[in-house]
Amino acid sequence: MKRYALPAPSGWTHLPREARDTLFQLAVVAWTILPHTAHLAPWCTALAAVLLVWRGWLALTNAAMPGRAAVIAVLAVAIGLTLITERTLLGKEAGVSMLVVLLALKMMEVRGRRDALVVFFLGFFLTLTQCLYSQSLLIALSMAGSAWGLLTAQVLASMPVGKPSLARAAGISARTALLGLPLMAALFLLFPRIGPLWGLPQDAVGRTGLSGTLRMGSVADLANDDAIAFRIRFDDAVPAASSLYFRGPVLSIFDGQEWRSSPPSPAARSAPELRPQGTGIGYEMILEPIRLSLLPLLEATPPHADGLPMLPGWGSTLDAQLRWQTDRIIAERVQLRARAWPRFEHGPLAQDDELTANTLLPSGGNPRAVQWAGALRSQPRLAVASADVLAAELMRHIRTEQFSYTLTPGSYGRDAVDEFWFDRRQGFCEHFAVSFVVMMRAMGVPARVVSGYQGAESPDADGWRVVRQSNAHAWAEYWAAGHGWRRADPTAAVAPERVSASRSLVPPAGLMAGALHSMNPELADELRRLWERMDNRWNQWVMGYSRTRQFDLLQSLGVETPSWRDLLVLLLSMLSALALIGAAWAWLDKRRIDPWVRLHARVRASLDKLGIPTQSHDSPRTLAYRLRHQLGAPAEPLAQLLDSLDRLRYGPGGQAVPGPEWTRQYDAALAALRRQAQASPR
Amino acid sequence: MILEWLARYLENRLPRSDSWSLTQSSIYILPTRAGWAFAATLVVMLLASINYQLNLGYALTFLLCGVGLSGMVLTHANLRGLTLRVRSPAPVFADEPAAMDVVLDNTGRERSGIGLGVHRTGSTGMAWVDVAAQASATARLSFVTGRRGRHVLPTIQAETVFPLGLFRAWTVWRPASEVLVYPRPERPAQALPLPTPVAGGTRSSRAGGGVEFEGVRAYRRGDPLRQIVWKKLARSNEMVSRDASTGASQQLWLQLPAALADDPEAQLSRLVAWVLAADRQGLDYGLRLPGQELPCGSGESHKRAALQALACWPEGNSR
Repeated sequence: MKRYALPAPSGWTHLPREARDTLFQLAVVAWTILPHTAHLAPWCTALAAVLLVWRGWLALTNAAMPGRAAVIAVLAVAIGLTLITERTLLGKEAGVSMLVVLLALKMMEVRGRRDALVVFFLGFFLTLTQCLYSQSLLIALSMAGSAWGLLTAQVLASMPVGKPSLARAAGISARTALLGLPLMAALFLLFPRIGPLWGLPQDAVGRTGLSGTLRMGSVADLANDDAIAFRIRFDDAVPAASSLYFRGPVLSIFDGQEWRSSPPSPAARSAPELRPQGTGIGYEMILEPIRLSLLPLLEATPPHADGLPMLPGWGSTLDAQLRWQTDRIIAERVQLRARAWPRFEHGPLAQDDELTANTLLPSGGNPRAVQWAGALRSQPRLAVASADVLAAELMRHIRTEQFSYTLTPGSYGRDAVDEFWFDRRQGFCEHFAVSFVVMMRAMGVPARVVSGYQGAESPDADGWRVVRQSNAHAWAEYWAAGHGWRRADPTAAVAPERVSASRSLVPPAGLMAGALHSMNPELADELRRLWERMDNRWNQWVMGYSRTRQFDLLQSLGVETPSWRDLLVLLLSMLSALALIGAAWAWLDKRRIDPWVRLHARVRASLDKLGIPTQSHDSPRTLAYRLRHQLGAPAEPLAQLLDSLDRLRYGPGGQAVPGPEWTRQYDAALAALRRQAQASPR
Repeated sequence: MILEWLARYLENRLPRSDSWSLTQSSIYILPTRAGWAFAATLVVMLLASINYQLNLGYALTFLLCGVGLSGMVLTHANLRGLTLRVRSPAPVFADEPAAMDVVLDNTGRERSGIGLGVHRTGSTGMAWVDVAAQASATARLSFVTGRRGRHVLPTIQAETVFPLGLFRAWTVWRPASEVLVYPRPERPAQALPLPTPVAGGTRSSRAGGGVEFEGVRAYRRGDPLRQIVWKKLARSNEMVSRDASTGASQQLWLQLPAALADDPEAQLSRLVAWVLAADRQGLDYGLRLPGQELPCGSGESHKRAALQALACWPEGNSR
């Protein structure tokens, strides 16, 4: 039987250095992988965990590492699994998976500190990929931890002697990082923020939230993404939560499976026919990088003289479908002010070609639904009914029949509307909205699906209300003659709390948060709010730092019309100044002499004048001895002073250089001795 | 080829000195391969941050920029302010490794991970030391000596990659001290030549002991064990040695063996082996080289003088 000599639990400090360094590296790697587990495929997390634990075991038992063949085999399996789960090796998800596997596998080849470098670089890449998913304060802290750990491992690798403690290495790496902070701050503030160099890869588009297309039934399980989409703060009057509809992509083209936005046609680009009613509400909005080329503004936000959504340097237009289009993808945090009119009407008052296109259904699709709608329309009481009446009839049907709201409806087949309307009657907002629109179209009423966000959380101390990706919503619009487009939210008919309570149905999970929430909901909410406020400040001041803010900074520094050239000039001059300071410091450092050495040189010079031979290695006591020997009693005060210097230098208790008092006494004694020597030349 | 020549030219321009202060002007610094890889990593990270518009990515990239730069300064500072000196190494025989002690004096902060080695021998044979603040540390370097004679010490290189391994700072120092290299002793050693009898004292001579003991005297420190009269010690607890001084009537004169006349180095090698053998046997021996003569004698300093004469012959051993 093979017995392993495992160190005692307290044996961390007694481990051999190689094993300890390896375990530390493993811990850093695990910490770096940890934030990724939320979006990694389960096999990838499991494989990485197994590899890391195995490597740790090998380090503890000082056993032999697996051969190259085994490593390559595992890599091949990992590539295969990635191809199966992600169907590619190139995208973001696949790339991160491969990076995680490579990092874990590299650990199987690394012997302690010797080739830690590859781990170092892979680790920084993996750290960077974390902010592809989130740039929250939490992720920033986690990334800082990863960077610190990786740097510490690197410091350990460059200390080959003995067994330096982890704390010492961590201290050195922290000091290195702190020394680099001024440069980091200068670069962060002044490095010109330029747009994407090439088109954003498709996978950069968020997984949840809004997208330009909708395929009913394809999502069996709606991921409840708690990420924040944007924050909003109202100037004064706060509209009811049930009227907070933030308009996103409008989907009006249906091919039987998928809903798409209409391509930008000249008509769609024309000015919207918007008729606001009542008074407007001013609001402020901080938009996260939602990676769409539109602004999900509160319905209805018209272009307004004093409240135009201002995006300096960007173009944004309100199109005929009431969408705010931007001329580039929102890939940075955007802050804007606008004014909305919750009561409004929009769209043409009379029928036109554009509207007719909104009654089209692909032939043959959802036959039962089309038939049912036709039957409803042909009822005598509805034969000449207006669109409003028909919509109300549909809403009544949804409310009275056994429709239920669920986030996990399972997947639907080809004729999804048929299946939903007649068989299963389970779904979330997009099922209700799509079915409603199909029914309206089947009855000849122009209708379309609108996606966006609905609702907002209650305000925090600063008045900001959070809207999360889980607030993403889909509703319907139908056209009523004489009024224009009207909003209808069939989801509200089934799950009114979804719309009015302004709270996502499933509370954000998390073991700790969950436990705390069940024990003390108020405290949990309070903590959560506090954290989110900090996160918000972080977002505003650090993550929201954009070209606009850079130019503001330049303006406050006195540049009247800032451009990126000014940024570069300022940055380069700061770097030059930094280099000059460094050069000056080096120059001073070269001329800096140890005070003891300086004092010794001075004493020697004075004794040389008295004709006493001295050497550079003579201690003060030797000099005193020589002084007494050559000059006798008259030199006694000087010799005593030298003795006291010797005690100061080599005696117990510090090596303080004597103060000015000693120098004064020495000069006085020296002068006295000189006078004496002149008075009685020998 | 040209680079090699240039490197040698630059090295030869360095002054020789007994101690070497590491200042701005004597420390070189360049990125290591890891440093270049790190720079490439930073460029890729910056591109990713720009393309995905990641402010946090910018922050991380710039943090690492700052870390890299301060790492450069710290690497340089890890060497700057040190003083190197070397302790003259003990003489060695040719082709044997000689060991020299390089002392690093530190009047400043603590230094870590300083490698010392003989220039141009690669980093595998480096001795790594840490130097505490206000302290000294010693690194023992070994180098293989070539021919016999006096040689200046090889050029020494001190380097460090501390703290991050991204930059390598190094200095090249040509010490002024010398090492004395004796000729390589012949192996296997040939038998010693017969001692020449001195006038007035003809006796039977034999190899091996080669000395006749004629009396006893009180033990003196350093007397060989085999000269001690153990029986006397056992009886009276008194240490006495046989007195071999009178055996000096037999003198062994060593000179260049004629048999190897065509190979002077081989002659010297044999002489060295003989000197060692004669010293081991406690013989009185002298050395006669053309134009140079070392009178008979014995003991450690005599042996050294003989070996030194052989090492430096024919230039003389006046140094």
